[in-house]
Amino acid sequence: MPKMYDTPLLDELEKGPWPSFVKEIKKCAAKNDMAADELGLLEKSYKTKIGYWKHGGIVGVRGYGGGVIGRYCSIPEEFPGVAHFHTVRINQPSAWFYTTDALRTICDIWDKYGSGLTNFHGSTGDMILLGTRTEALEDIFAELSSRGWDLGGSGSAMRTPSCCVGPARCEWANIDTLELCYQLTQEFQDELHRPAWPYKFKIKIAGCACDCVAAIARADCSIIGTWKGDIKINQDEVRNYVKNGFDIQKWVIDMCPTECMSWDGSTLTIDNANCNRCMHCISKMTKALKPGDEKGATICIGSKAPIVVGALLSWVIVPFIKVEKPYDEIKDLVRKMTEWWDENGKPRERIGEVIERVGMRSFLEYIGVPPQPQQVKEPRRDPFWFFTEEDIEKIKAKEAEEKKTGVYKF
Amino acid sequence: MSVPQRRTDIGPPHYEQFLPPIIKKNYGNWSYYQQLAPGVMVHVAESGDKIYSVRVGSPRLLATDTIREICSIADKYCDGYLRFTSRNNIEFLVTDESKLNPLQDELKSKGYAIGGIGYRVSNPVHTQGWVHCHSACTDASGLVKSIMDELFPYFCEKELPNKVRLAVACCVNMCGAVHCSDIAVVAVHTKVPQVDAEAFKNMCELPTTIASCPTGAISPDPATKSVKIKAEKCMYCGNCFTVCPAIPIKDAERDGVAIVVGGKVGNLRSNPKFSKMVIPYISNEPPRWPKAIAAIKLILETYAKDARKFERVGEWIERIGWERFFQLTGIEFTYQHIDDFTFARETFRTAATFKW
Amino acid sequence: MDTETIKNKIFEILEKAKGKKKLKEKDVIRIASEELNVEKDDVKKVLRDLIEEGKLCYSYTGGASSVEIPSEEYLREKGMIK
Repeated sequence: MPKMYDTPLLDELEKGPWPSFVKEIKKCAAKNDMAADELGLLEKSYKTKIGYWKHGGIVGVRGYGGGVIGRYCSIPEEFPGVAHFHTVRINQPSAWFYTTDALRTICDIWDKYGSGLTNFHGSTGDMILLGTRTEALEDIFAELSSRGWDLGGSGSAMRTPSCCVGPARCEWANIDTLELCYQLTQEFQDELHRPAWPYKFKIKIAGCACDCVAAIARADCSIIGTWKGDIKINQDEVRNYVKNGFDIQKWVIDMCPTECMSWDGSTLTIDNANCNRCMHCISKMTKALKPGDEKGATICIGSKAPIVVGALLSWVIVPFIKVEKPYDEIKDLVRKMTEWWDENGKPRERIGEVIERVGMRSFLEYIGVPPQPQQVKEPRRDPFWFFTEEDIEKIKAKEAEEKKTGVYKF
Repeated sequence: MSVPQRRTDIGPPHYEQFLPPIIKKNYGNWSYYQQLAPGVMVHVAESGDKIYSVRVGSPRLLATDTIREICSIADKYCDGYLRFTSRNNIEFLVTDESKLNPLQDELKSKGYAIGGIGYRVSNPVHTQGWVHCHSACTDASGLVKSIMDELFPYFCEKELPNKVRLAVACCVNMCGAVHCSDIAVVAVHTKVPQVDAEAFKNMCELPTTIASCPTGAISPDPATKSVKIKAEKCMYCGNCFTVCPAIPIKDAERDGVAIVVGGKVGNLRSNPKFSKMVIPYISNEPPRWPKAIAAIKLILETYAKDARKFERVGEWIERIGWERFFQLTGIEFTYQHIDDFTFARETFRTAATFKW
Repeated sequence: MDTETIKNKIFEILEKAKGKKKLKEKDVIRIASEELNVEKDDVKKVLRDLIEEGKLCYSYTGGASSVEIPSEEYLREKGMIK
């Protein structure tokens, strides 16, 4: 029988309508020594208002540098069950679809070797198995991998890519987020399992500008579905919305950020050249409006949380790229991006920070992407910029040409 | 029983084997969706096929027993298929419409919370906290539980002007989307860390530790063969502790939480935005953090009352202006609100237009 | 260059750095290839074999990944030595 702890503070969190994590820990604590001590330790934290976990270290499975997060308790004499309490990250299937058989397989393995506690899912997207001992790691990995599951990323490596539900169940998906996510994960297996880079590198893939996986904010490489061309309008369905009491003027026309729409009482008109594809109108009138037919993605780079000189949102690098199997163009682009970063980055420097320090031009030139106005909010406002001799030669040559033709080309 | 042979670098299983047949059939050919209830929606394919999704909240931290229970429910009503969302909700995928009501009845009877779709509060994204993290200065699960108990009607029933995305991070590393959420909690230290010179010698690299400080507050201390910290330059980010365990920064009475608001990741109407700090510090008050919860409720309800339909929290504040936000909520504006770090110059006002 | 020489060099580099500087895979490869005058790819192959055999490990201390010689205690816990 696992040790029973008095947990008056945590018991408070069993009350109330929202599902309780304390109930979850108690379910495991009733039959597992590790989970029992986890419960006891957490109660202590609630009492003393401080945590008792130590930095990780070398813990992992043979040959891999990622997928296991070492975790030790700082007071193991008091809570021996959590002396080791390592995390195992399992790479989730695209868009978090499962069969119950698959989930039960994971549960069986985890009940045998671990605390029984999990996270569905971790912040990066992996399934998280919470709490096991160093001795169990090789067996857990063998059991998982022999059944088709692999570990996710951790450390200074490619982290487990993730994606939104995409074409599996969403009419707005401009790209096959699930397949792209799968293919990129497979392409970068070595980089994911063997941390060789300056720091972490995350990829997230969203099917449209609604960005349900927060790609723009939480991924070093954000791939966001978009389209070119005109929004497709079904005028009958537009009229149906209006007939059913939808205030198209107030809720769509007046809220369009580019003011590119008008409604004359029977027909909706969109000035598509001025539409910036924000998804507001499409998301509000999903039956009537659809993205245009030329689908692709925008690739942005650099987003991260604040540590340490401030959070970044990803910056547009490639405004539009076709996303078609076998995705060679995107794979090559990611490889070039990470090569440049690996070459220029200091330890613990994310790619966005390196771009800021070394310069966007160096990055764009290396990955072979030309400058485009879509990459900036506005051009620079200071009067200090670099010229290469080549830049000047090009301008001079252009001017010489203009002299000949008598036509300026700005 | 012997352990099977390991395989390496196989990656995740291909998702296709986990897709319900109706999804495989209509993959990429969905036409529209409709919300039927706060936690129920139907997606209709070009073919006319329909798939119903029933969304339930989850504490994210799940026991294997609970996962098995979820599985038996999915076996009974969903032919053994289910998915999780990017915000840790569970979605039961129903093909047979007649099973929709019995599924919801069973979920309710077993205490599951159905909701979170549409213009509501969805499941907060959060981090490990005291449950499992070495750098946590609060417990994320406890905060989330307390927030959602309080805001429960906004998950399972009441509508808001638009969706409200909540997040909780147990330190400034922010392993959640706190920096781009409508309303979020981030735990902060408020005390300069102490250097354990003895431990430093064995555990830490001098150049790495010095380089870890974003404000240049750390310098070598030749006398003790470790480092010293210039207190007036330290803003308690804890990055030195991350690279050097001999500089502990946790402090039971001084660690606490801050509230940030107005961030978003979607592009609808306005560009993605960062969250901005509105309350710099509230003491840790486990198990329920009553003051932090009251602050979140105050902000949410002020937004619910004052925002226009479809405005996100950040869009609402941008329209009314920050001085009006502080006026409407009654939150005090302090020195901590004025940025003195990396992005400071972008945040100072350069116009003569105010509201009083 | 024979594998044994490269192996010994890698261990020498890591022993020397122990407790002073955490070395990334890339650092070890660079130093070994410079000191032995061999191709980086050759060093990488040997290094990866050592990691695959469990003689070397990746570590995640100080907020970044590095390569280390595992302690006996760790190898014992892992059941790799008795």
